Amino acid sequence: MRKVLLLGLMLFLGSAVAFAQNRVITGTVTSTEDNLGVPGATVLVKGTTIGTATDLDGNYSISVPAGSNVLVFSFVGLRQQEVSIGNRTTINVALEPDVQALSEFVITSYGDQSKREITGAIASVKGEVFENLPVQSFDRAMQGRIAGVQVTSTSGAPGGTLNVRIRGVGSINAGNDPLYIVDGVQVASGSLSGQGPQNALASINPNDIESIEVLKDAAAASIYGAQAANGVVLITTKKGKKGVTKTKITAQEGIVQPLNLYEVMNATQLATIKRDAYINAGLNPANAAATYGNPEDPNLQSYDWVDELYRQGRLSVYDVSVSGGDEKTNFYLSGSYTNQEGQIVQSSYERATGRLNVTHRPNKKLTVAANLSLAYQRTLGTIANGNFVNGPFSAGFTMRPNVPIYNEDGSFKADYPSNHNFGYNIVQGVYEELRRGTSVQTVSNLQANYQITPWLSWTSYFGLDFSDNRDENNRPSTIPVFSSFGGQSFYADRRNNNFNTNHNLNFNKKFGDVHTITGLAGYEYKGFQSEETTATGRGFANPTLRYLQNAATPFAVGGFFTEFKRIGVFGNVKYNYDDRYDAEFTIRRDGHSRFGAQNQWGTFGAASVGWRVSSESFMQDLTWLDNLRVRASFGITGNSDIANFASRTLVGNTGQYLGSGSLGLSQLGNDLLTWEESKTINLGVDWTIFNGRLIGTVDFWRKDSESLLFDTPLPIDSGFGSITRNTGSVRNQGIDIDLQTVNVVSGKFQWNTGFNITFLENELRELYDGRDRIGNDLIVGRPISFWYTHRFLGVNPANGRAMYDDANGGYTYIVGESTLQYIGSGLPTSYGGLSNTFSYGPVSLEVFFQGQFGNLAGNQDMFNLEDWGASTGNLRTNQLSYWKQPGDITTVGRPYEGGQAPGTSNIDTFSTRFLSDGGYIRLKQVTLNYVLPSAAAQKIGMQGLSAFVQGLNLATFTKYTGQDPEVVGIREFVSIGRFPNARQFSAGLTLTF
Amino acid sequence: MKNIFRIMVFGGALVAASCTDLETTPRQSLTPGTALADANGYESLALSMYGRARAFGYYGQNMMIEPEILADNLRIIANTGRYIGEEANADRAHFNLWDFNPNNNSFRGVYAGINDANIVLAGIENVPGQESLKNRVKGEAHFMRALFYFDLARVYGYEPGKEVNGWDKSVILRTEPTLGFSNADFRARATNRQVYDQIISDLQAAVNLLPTATLRNASVYRASRGAAQALLARVYLYDSKFAEAAASASAAMASFGITDDGTGLATPANYISGFSTAPNPESLFEIEIRSNDWSTVDGVNNSVCSLTANVFASAQFIVTATDELINSYETGDVRRNAWVATTRSGASGTVYRSAKWLGHKGDFLENLPIIRAAELFLIRAEARYRTNDAAGARADLNALRSKRGLGAVDAALSGQALFNQIMLERRQEFALEGHRWFDLKRNGMPITKAGRFETVPYNDYRLLAPLPTGELQLNDQLEQNPGYN
Repeated sequence: MRKVLLLGLMLFLGSAVAFAQNRVITGTVTSTEDNLGVPGATVLVKGTTIGTATDLDGNYSISVPAGSNVLVFSFVGLRQQEVSIGNRTTINVALEPDVQALSEFVITSYGDQSKREITGAIASVKGEVFENLPVQSFDRAMQGRIAGVQVTSTSGAPGGTLNVRIRGVGSINAGNDPLYIVDGVQVASGSLSGQGPQNALASINPNDIESIEVLKDAAAASIYGAQAANGVVLITTKKGKKGVTKTKITAQEGIVQPLNLYEVMNATQLATIKRDAYINAGLNPANAAATYGNPEDPNLQSYDWVDELYRQGRLSVYDVSVSGGDEKTNFYLSGSYTNQEGQIVQSSYERATGRLNVTHRPNKKLTVAANLSLAYQRTLGTIANGNFVNGPFSAGFTMRPNVPIYNEDGSFKADYPSNHNFGYNIVQGVYEELRRGTSVQTVSNLQANYQITPWLSWTSYFGLDFSDNRDENNRPSTIPVFSSFGGQSFYADRRNNNFNTNHNLNFNKKFGDVHTITGLAGYEYKGFQSEETTATGRGFANPTLRYLQNAATPFAVGGFFTEFKRIGVFGNVKYNYDDRYDAEFTIRRDGHSRFGAQNQWGTFGAASVGWRVSSESFMQDLTWLDNLRVRASFGITGNSDIANFASRTLVGNTGQYLGSGSLGLSQLGNDLLTWEESKTINLGVDWTIFNGRLIGTVDFWRKDSESLLFDTPLPIDSGFGSITRNTGSVRNQGIDIDLQTVNVVSGKFQWNTGFNITFLENELRELYDGRDRIGNDLIVGRPISFWYTHRFLGVNPANGRAMYDDANGGYTYIVGESTLQYIGSGLPTSYGGLSNTFSYGPVSLEVFFQGQFGNLAGNQDMFNLEDWGASTGNLRTNQLSYWKQPGDITTVGRPYEGGQAPGTSNIDTFSTRFLSDGGYIRLKQVTLNYVLPSAAAQKIGMQGLSAFVQGLNLATFTKYTGQDPEVVGIREFVSIGRFPNARQFSAGLTLTF
Repeated sequence: MKNIFRIMVFGGALVAASCTDLETTPRQSLTPGTALADANGYESLALSMYGRARAFGYYGQNMMIEPEILADNLRIIANTGRYIGEEANADRAHFNLWDFNPNNNSFRGVYAGINDANIVLAGIENVPGQESLKNRVKGEAHFMRALFYFDLARVYGYEPGKEVNGWDKSVILRTEPTLGFSNADFRARATNRQVYDQIISDLQAAVNLLPTATLRNASVYRASRGAAQALLARVYLYDSKFAEAAASASAAMASFGITDDGTGLATPANYISGFSTAPNPESLFEIEIRSNDWSTVDGVNNSVCSLTANVFASAQFIVTATDELINSYETGDVRRNAWVATTRSGASGTVYRSAKWLGHKGDFLENLPIIRAAELFLIRAEARYRTNDAAGARADLNALRSKRGLGAVDAALSGQALFNQIMLERRQEFALEGHRWFDLKRNGMPITKAGRFETVPYNDYRLLAPLPTGELQLNDQLEQNPGYN
């Protein structure tokens, strides 16, 4: 920080050159929206009344008096820009759309501020960055685009849910998800369906999004007080603009492919290793041959189960939008349809969305607006994320290659050996079991704004996130394991009602030309209710029947209800002096029904200051410096993301006995339970230099999460596993760096780079009751996610056994508590993204890499696939290099049926053998775009026409031993049977008229 | 336009006023005050103790299979990863009653049931309710607490007087309820003497509080006076209090109307079919299960039936009787019919499926017999043998044998041979009912595996189960059993 300031000062002193003559500056003003010239834009010499307007093509020429060195460019609807002239004679300016300029029409829940004034750490990504990407939900679109924001998918299923972590992981037991706000509606994230991960955020069509803002530090987020500890993601959808009605149609078709399938053995290979496993265990190899086939048999048939499960899927995305407006009204109307097949058979995702955003201004004082959306999502899910016999990602690879999948007549074979995967024919299961989640969701709001005086306005806002979900799971009797009860159908109906309203006064007044005070005071209420009803029927006369009225036995019913309420009052004041000094103060008081009766309320707040160094008169001669600003903030935000009734002692249902319901104490309460707090310090610097060629932001931050909502363990002999208390503290600290550069501009060729990277570290600083560790799960001084296990030393060449570090300088074959040791962190220490865009006239190419580094990742798929021939299923082909005789140097030890030779630990004992470097760099996206020149487009009656081809997840560079390092998850130790991401290729056309 | 502003302010204020409370209700749960307001509430709590016994980590599967395969009654015929280590008595391949994850709800281990019992016993006197109901519920709490502690004690510690190297640590003893954070203190393991004394006093209390039950009747699905007497007889036998064991067995027989000649036991013709009858005609205490206690695949995944028999198409059928057990039966012994010859792909030769666990309630489902009447004769025979009453011991054996299609034992049978005969009868009578390991252990006998695996001598560390690592790390006062590194 200090170094940056010093550097700035030195550069300033070194380039203090005075100019003293009248100059003529010429140039072109364009709009970044369409890269066309802006006719009628105002060009003003700052501090004077000298000005001119651009011509029809956006060109201007202006005479600048001596002593003046700044031009001010402005146009209605575009953000005003000041440019230092320096010694240039040509100044071309690209003006960006100005959200605030449009804000006479746009109101969000609490009020807007332009990025220029912001003193907190806010990052944003524009909708155009991810426009037309076939990614279903905006959280995926943020991946790698924003410094300080880590997006990982725990599932690569189309339309699946993601983990978003802003500036590390601060909570141990409470949630770490940010607060998502769509046009002011506080939406619930997570999965809508239980039959497949169906992302609740996918109800917003990413192509409807104007921009995403991420509020990273307390100064930015504390106005959202109670829920802001994990950061806030603000989504603003597109609004219509005054002028000719614009219509835009996009159609896109593509394919979806598996990324990196495990290569598994054929029948002869598996029979060979199994025969040796039997012989080594003293068992009759004839029994191995009976089960796995005879390895000597040249006619041993092999069946490719994996090939039957995976496919090349199709993806289609269609979008249409119409927008426009006049003096009083603007509107944005859109519809979309997406259908994407998964890489696994039967898996698919379908979505239709509709949106109407309309703003009307009946008179000068009143503005009313509505943002209405409706989305229909249908997921055909796949069982994933666990070692499930009916999950294709785990069982699919393990199916024995010597067992046929089909009968001769093409029907599924029903007699898969019952001692493996419960005799479940996974291909039949995936084809015949129905797992469908269907949701209808609206994220909508109504708002009104009344301008009481020119400097004071009132806003009333009502937002609703409502979803209705139906899950269907049919397990037909044609699948042998479900035949004994005649098949089963399960239905679940869920309804989530998530309502928020706020009412606030906003003021904005300028005094004496240099003092600007803006602020707001308001009240907010939020209520959430969720209800579910489930029913299961069994005994269907025919496997094609699946509705409950066809069930012979009404088998089970279930239900669920939960709710919470939150109330907050808040105030915020911003002071700006002469566009140079900013100060901002926020305070918020929140109450939450989740907390103990004595401790429901908490107070949060933040203070921040900013100094625009470049606006100081002594900086005006630094011609290369367009903007330089330093910021500092401190604040406290809260986290309440725990179970809705976590503070109460509950007596719950424990099932039935003899037909009577039985009760049991299900939770120990804590009347003192209250907010988890996070204290954030942020120091930031923003700069723009060389006439916009290099724009950068660096933030240094530290986030201390304290009074954690911590499930402190209780001795199990007390009858309970844990109780939630406020204790413990976790520190995350790091540096966010964001750079946008224009590297080359040469004629029609331009090369732009966007780069962001975050370095961070995580440390547990305190537990509870003075303890410095909880078992091997949490240790003070370590990150909150680490691997603590046995260290695998390799295979002893003498006997083929696994050797483990005995923590005493030697090795051992039997591990125990004494050989467990700290291995390394499971959290990444850095992550980021790199985007390069090359354009030549109408053609542009974007190449985008994304990655993370520094975490050790587990690969529990190895339990099944790399157990040295111990278990009963198929293995990866890398197991073929197994130990055969003394002296063999190999990484795969001596096969032993069952996996536990006398005097050894079971081969499935977790150790560093299952760990690998989880870091990766992924070529996430390549997009080639061609824009038909507008003259040509107009000839065919279009305003614009562009065509694109793109690829997603094209290459991955990693040492991770599993299929996809991206789905390992943050702080999740089980990485087995995950749904990996897919490689996608698509091509599309966009028409505007 | 002023009006619109007024409407907005007024409307906003109205909304604000209506949304100022933070009252919420967990509608599918209750507060302890509501749930336990009367004796009926405590009865609902007591019922959950029976439900917890159904867990697959407990009587639902583990307590039935583990004692058989850790000992010498079962062998693996299909490697699914389960019980492979137990068959070989591998390090840490053992019971886990302390913190197993149950199939059906969120509690872990046997101690959650102990807490249910402690809550009942601490609170039921302070609420209104019929005295008879209160007594019954209290009796049930005493009975189930005794069963839970008895199972913990025999898995994690040596029986009193049978200690190896003086190691007398048993399990943590709690008789007060955990109702709040302050109750959940850290404790050290009690001695086996302390735990057995607690079990005995609980059972004595239960005998006095519980109503009687009738054989072949739904009354055996809950604890009864006779069941408490029978369990007490078993506990005395483990505790080497042989006279008390014999007396308590006799008392239990009287409670159920079983006579010394074996009348009341199943006949030879219905010994096997009794296991496909609900309740089992010999059950003194049986846990009832219904289909909705299980999820879709619990039956095939976890039931004793699926693991031990191939009567349902998708059954796992991973264990069978050892040849030593099959060859031990005398000609005419109906208990031999508990094993039906069959074949299994991947296993050579003839293998045997269980005929005790046939899932007669459909889809692998059947009740769990915990204490059967035959045990009373075998407890008393052993107790009489230990108290130098060989004739009485032979009479009890003969009474049982008469109901199993067998004649009397040699009238001169005595000494070690008599003891061996009692052990053999136990082995055959309770095959696949979870007795064998404990019978060998409490008598200080080695675990032999007929040469398939090394013999485990009685003083080997593997006779006691390891305590869970997480609990040892959490609780400094908790000591691991000797021999586990």
